[in-house]
Amino acid sequence: MKTTINAALIVMTLGITANPLFAAGNIEAGKAKSVTCVACHGVDGRSTMPAVPGMVVPHIAGQYADYLEKSLQDYRSGKRKNASMSGMAAGLSDQDIADLASYYASLDGLKVVKRRP
Amino acid sequence: MLVAICQLGYNRGAFFRSENFETAIMKALLIVITTMALLLIAGGTYAAGDPAAGKTKAEACLGCHGVPNYANVYPQYRVPKLAGQRPEYIVAALVDYQAGQREHGTMQANATTLSDQDMQDIAAFMSTAGEDKQ
Repeated sequence: MKTTINAALIVMTLGITANPLFAAGNIEAGKAKSVTCVACHGVDGRSTMPAVPGMVVPHIAGQYADYLEKSLQDYRSGKRKNASMSGMAAGLSDQDIADLASYYASLDGLKVVKRRP
Repeated sequence: MLVAICQLGYNRGAFFRSENFETAIMKALLIVITTMALLLIAGGTYAAGDPAAGKTKAEACLGCHGVPNYANVYPQYRVPKLAGQRPEYIVAALVDYQAGQREHGTMQANATTLSDQDMQDIAAFMSTAGEDKQ
């Protein structure tokens, strides 16, 4: 009985905390997987690529992990289209995406816009 | 007649050798170079945005983008941080939303009425309005 209750509690806890859309990312693993991203997004997640119409590479350091994850998922599924990113995301697993998102979110960079001075 | 033509030819020759001719060439060159430079600037980069004008225009944006950890209701992910972002990227995103090339109901609706200048101004404000900078 006690085991059953414990099992039920564990399942309930998992149900509440686990977001079905996003896997848990590993920062170190993400750093290791970021070698191809560096070419455009910069070594620290701040792009130094010149802004060319049709291909403006954003800064991603410090961005929310779930936003980065959603972006990569959308590039992978084709919902969001970009000549470079569609190809880059095509080969990524859910875990790769989660790891990369966690890594870039952990870097110092983007901030929330302040509403009032 | 022949004399007249020869005289004209000589006079022209004199013009080509004169300082007036040099000045005319310099002026023409200057115009060509200036035009090329302007074309390069217009085609290669983006018009400058005004952060002060952008601050007023971005009032509606801040309802979401100015709230830390603010999330879309469904699917559950947070609206992106924009302070410190490249202004060119913010403009590109708005252009894509307006053109329907990037999907997001709220952002497509918000981008509908923006002019090119609005986008530039908003981007200029957003990219510089970090927590640390005000």
